[in-house]
Amino acid sequence: MRISLTVNGQRYTVDVAEHKTLLRCLREDLGLTGTKEGCGMGECGACTIIFNGRVVNACMILAVEANGATIETIEGEATGPGLSEIQTALERNNSAQCGFCTPGMVMSIKELLRDKPKPTIDEMKEAIEGNFCRCTGYVQIIEAILDLTGRSAEKGELKHV
Amino acid sequence: MVYEFRYLAPKSVGRLCAALTEHAGAAKLLAGGTDLLPNIRNGVFKPDYVIDLKLLPGAAKLQYSQVDGLIIGPAVTINDLLRQRSVRRLYPVLCDCAHQLASHQIRNRATVAGNVVNASPCSDMAPALLCLDAVAVIRSAAGQRQLPFSQFFTGVKKTALLPGEFLEKIIVPAASSNASGRYLKLKRIAGHDLGIVGVLCTLHQGRRRYAVSSAAPTPVLVDGFSAGDGPEDVERRVLAAVSPISDVRASQEYRRHMIAVYARQLLQEVR
Repeated sequence: MRISLTVNGQRYTVDVAEHKTLLRCLREDLGLTGTKEGCGMGECGACTIIFNGRVVNACMILAVEANGATIETIEGEATGPGLSEIQTALERNNSAQCGFCTPGMVMSIKELLRDKPKPTIDEMKEAIEGNFCRCTGYVQIIEAILDLTGRSAEKGELKHV
Repeated sequence: MVYEFRYLAPKSVGRLCAALTEHAGAAKLLAGGTDLLPNIRNGVFKPDYVIDLKLLPGAAKLQYSQVDGLIIGPAVTINDLLRQRSVRRLYPVLCDCAHQLASHQIRNRATVAGNVVNASPCSDMAPALLCLDAVAVIRSAAGQRQLPFSQFFTGVKKTALLPGEFLEKIIVPAASSNASGRYLKLKRIAGHDLGIVGVLCTLHQGRRRYAVSSAAPTPVLVDGFSAGDGPEDVERRVLAAVSPISDVRASQEYRRHMIAVYARQLLQEVR
């Protein structure tokens, strides 16, 4: 089936099998391999993308359902020569070790800050509850979000475990 | 997806009903896909056809009126509910349950209708719909019928939907608006997890109700409390209505214990 979709501002028209997931379409047909496949069943969030303005798990959407959709992935994040603001904050706070969760984590943080520029810590945790990180223990990621929301002073109050 | 199927996306109810009739038994309906697609991936379902209902006119309709109550179309997501001001104001119980379902990404995609037609015993939306006297509007090529959710769930992953029928919308009566209540869901972690047990208690115009998830083959409604019921009465009645099993997530004994703890706690809190 032929579908058209806009990914990171660029329009694509591709022929996809009707049973193919959007995640596989992004990675295999469009060559956008920044979005990862972890569990493939909506548990881990490594495949998180922004679909028509909302974060979703790309592993649980069919490519054909994305016909006409506007999608943002990690490849569209840094628009200049360097890293984006979110990526920079994650880097400064040592918020990644293996980095497998990071593309999805960036997408979730992006949606959070668009919806709620001044989130509470509970709202920060809720925004990334669907993104598993097996390296950091999440504290460094919350610290990055505190940096992004002008609350760096509160970083010391978080418990490292 | 390793398993291959055909994808259909009818643009009218008539065409959807025709497709359901033609492919009865070989088709699965797709709304949010957060349950269907993992199940196909894991080989639980092997449909020849996946029929997407999101292109139906009005599928994403979410509308409140004092006459009709709250109408929830089959493509309304969990977060659509949570983002709508009138729902938050008038149906806080619905929002409390919705907020505790899965993860943020899944709430952006999963639908209210999907959560109930899957008829999982651990459905988080079912307790709210049971306590709020919600009605399922069921459609097929033969016509439309209405069924209260108290008669909708018939077994583990089984509903009263007949072959060729689909859940066209959910109606939460206006008379149930402003019901107060709280849903306590026991999980291993604060984030995304299936419930070990879930207990909802609502109080509306002096009438107290409980609904329990993950505690029987179907979500369970417990009704008929009187104002003078104490913690022992409430605990006894709620426990008499459930029949939890032991499984990988918890033992039967632990489930019964926590249902009792939550039932007592909610009697105190929901006033």
